[in-house]
Amino acid sequence: MEILIIGAVRGALYSLIAVGFVLIFSVGGILNLAHGTYYMLGAYLTYIYYTFIFGAGGIGLLTLSALLGVLSVGVIACLVYYVLLRPYIHSLTYVMVMTLALALFVSEIMSLLFGVSGTSVPSFVEGSLSIGGIKMINQQLILIPITALILPSLWYFLKRTRIGQSIDAVSQERTGAILMGVSVETATLITTGLSAALAALAGALIAPVSSVVPEMWLFPLIKAFAIAILGGMGSLVGSIIASFIIGYAEVLSSFMINEQLTELVALVVIILVLIFKPSGIMGYKVR
Amino acid sequence: MKPLEIDNLSKNFGGLQALNSVSFSVLSGEIVGIIGPNGAGKTTLFNCISGFLPFDSGAVTLFGRSVKGRKPYQIVNLGLTRTWQLVKPFFGMKVMEAMMIPSFCHRAAKRHDSKKKVRESVLRILEEMGLGEKIWEDVDKLNQGELRLLDIARALVTFPKILLLDEPFSGLSQKEIENITTVARRLNAQGLPVVIIEHRLRELMKLIEKVVVISFGRKIAEGTPEAIVKNENVIKAYLGERRSRIGLA
Amino acid sequence: MNLHKETRLLYKNQSPFGWAMIVAMALFALLSENIFYVEVIKIAAIYAIFAMSWDILTGYTHEVNFGFAFFIGGAGYLSGILNSIFSFSPLIAIPLAALAAGASGIFIGYLTLRLKGPYFSMATLAFASILFKLSFIFYEITGGEEGISGLDVFSDDPTKDFFVAWAVMLAVFIVLTLYAQSKHGIILKAIRADEDATQSAGINTAYYKIEAFAISGFMAGVGGGVFAHSQMHIGPTMLSGYISIIVVLLAMIGGMGSIVGPLFGAIALTILNEYLRVVEEYRIVIYTGILILLIYIAPEGLFNLKFVRKSRILTFILLGERRPL
Repeated sequence: MEILIIGAVRGALYSLIAVGFVLIFSVGGILNLAHGTYYMLGAYLTYIYYTFIFGAGGIGLLTLSALLGVLSVGVIACLVYYVLLRPYIHSLTYVMVMTLALALFVSEIMSLLFGVSGTSVPSFVEGSLSIGGIKMINQQLILIPITALILPSLWYFLKRTRIGQSIDAVSQERTGAILMGVSVETATLITTGLSAALAALAGALIAPVSSVVPEMWLFPLIKAFAIAILGGMGSLVGSIIASFIIGYAEVLSSFMINEQLTELVALVVIILVLIFKPSGIMGYKVR
Repeated sequence: MKPLEIDNLSKNFGGLQALNSVSFSVLSGEIVGIIGPNGAGKTTLFNCISGFLPFDSGAVTLFGRSVKGRKPYQIVNLGLTRTWQLVKPFFGMKVMEAMMIPSFCHRAAKRHDSKKKVRESVLRILEEMGLGEKIWEDVDKLNQGELRLLDIARALVTFPKILLLDEPFSGLSQKEIENITTVARRLNAQGLPVVIIEHRLRELMKLIEKVVVISFGRKIAEGTPEAIVKNENVIKAYLGERRSRIGLA
Repeated sequence: MNLHKETRLLYKNQSPFGWAMIVAMALFALLSENIFYVEVIKIAAIYAIFAMSWDILTGYTHEVNFGFAFFIGGAGYLSGILNSIFSFSPLIAIPLAALAAGASGIFIGYLTLRLKGPYFSMATLAFASILFKLSFIFYEITGGEEGISGLDVFSDDPTKDFFVAWAVMLAVFIVLTLYAQSKHGIILKAIRADEDATQSAGINTAYYKIEAFAISGFMAGVGGGVFAHSQMHIGPTMLSGYISIIVVLLAMIGGMGSIVGPLFGAIALTILNEYLRVVEEYRIVIYTGILILLIYIAPEGLFNLKFVRKSRILTFILLGERRPL
């Protein structure tokens, strides 16, 4: 039972991260290796706003800090895209190297500012809940309803609003979308911000119960990639399903085998999928 | 031993039967054309023969040896080389450099005992293609006609025993087509069997001695150019009202 | 015939600039009285080994390897373990570790044969990350966070120590330059341009790709082993994403696909890094920031800049390429 809930929490967390990652890849062709960094910044900026700007004044301000953090990350992502990536967007190599370098850079800045042991962020929702005899921390649990709110809203946005539909069009059939007058530029810009904001939200929400350290960008990135290829690089639904698969796989392996191996799960998934079935579950051709 | 024997070759793409029991042979010194409407499966045929696509059933025999399951480079080393419809030159290199690549394959390497001889061979082939002046040019700077000739030159450096040309005329001017036709004729006169896929029928029919017609993955006719243009099934399949434009002159 | 001499010129390019750098480093070490500076160029030489080894694979196939830490740290740790636990001398431990690295290059090369672009890159990152995690899981052998200390050094004299690194750098430079200009390098470039066309030229592309991976891994492994023993310590940094990315950046900023470009990039930038110790606290941040700026300005690398490639003089001095008129 515990596994069910913890796995669900993980899956929810991962889906927030992975959906953004897959979206920006299918819309902009950008393999954003700084995606994990946006997740990290969501956590760190929440701390920064809360501690330095709002003087640690209570849950309301904490929530505000988190929101500001998420928005800031969205803006930062757009700036990064516009200034650093756009000039060389055609070269996937450049995009990968630059985003990875940025990830490293920001990680070192955080290390400089707050040290290797990181910081801590207080909880948004205190206390714990007892479900089926298991005690679960509320801060973790709220991920489920929040994700349950956000993902359908995202779907609604993509399928029903004009802007969303143009983004959806670009992700599915780029040339066709251009011919229909869709501005790929705008779509990519909005998607960048949106994708980063989702990752930042995940970071902000998990910050109180997880370690906020300068290295926290790498493994979420790797997991996002694992999820993306498992679910098929173009498929949002696939990535949500894959998020839960990996979430549960991690929880199961941690309970049944060894806690330390959890981190390896995503890595092994990447290797296995790439070698045996590069198109993933709901897939997209690798070529 | 026939240079090439295709026996009941079939290929299925997840429901679409691209090739359905296609059979024909290429005899020593023959120059054969493969024609058919768009999407008939001609390039799929080439891809299966040259190892770029695995085929489901049937046999492809090259000078008595089966090529089933072999990788493309292995088939080249057995003596069968192909060119590409969408030309695949080695961008980012100079012509001479690009032409050294096929000389590194086992088949070509075996023939020469010194690097000097290899270079001489390559230079000779380039000159025969009319590209002698261009050997230090970047491949990127060549025009379509020259790229086609380069592709054929690339094939020749592997010392093929049979040559497959995939739509060599497409995108070329009349003069360029004549160029290639002369080259093909000369190679064939020297004894090299040549198989050509083409859509430009008027130019093709002047060059070849045997025609194989493919439509919807099946061979629907085989014969001399004169016989084929009169063949009911062929006309129905795709010549249609273009029949009058297929002269033999 | 003139043409023969000209074609031979395609393959015998030696970069005057590259040789000048190598000789200058040796002279500096011999003449300098400052141990610290000799240490610095020793590290620079080792990073040059890493950058050049990385270049022979990625520079020529254009498939970006993000997991170079696998070979560097992997061999470093293996050599360290052989030395500290099994008491192998570095002269035996390093070659063994490098061979292991080369063998894993064959293994990884084989597994990633069909992968292209981002998939290849992420697979290499995944392999390196697995090794990184394993070093923490098996902390009894690897020392976890702290790594392994007390490794045997080559010599107590810092200058002699430098020359070990320098000699390896020289050997790697010569071997890789010859390799890159031989049929192996040309075939890699052809594979990068079009793998199908290369296959239809009768070349076993899988073989050459795996071979390049193995050589790249072996050389990096030698570098990793030399690094470990020259620092008398190997830690998880050498298995981390950090070293992987730095090597990528050093090689790319120098100029991918030329061997001598990464040599220059690694040496110049590593010296810069040490020079920045004056602001030690901010050093890593400033250094990484500069690297990002440089990649932004010259994404193909300094040796590949348009104005370099267009100038006959510069192309000769930097890359050693003589262009027939």
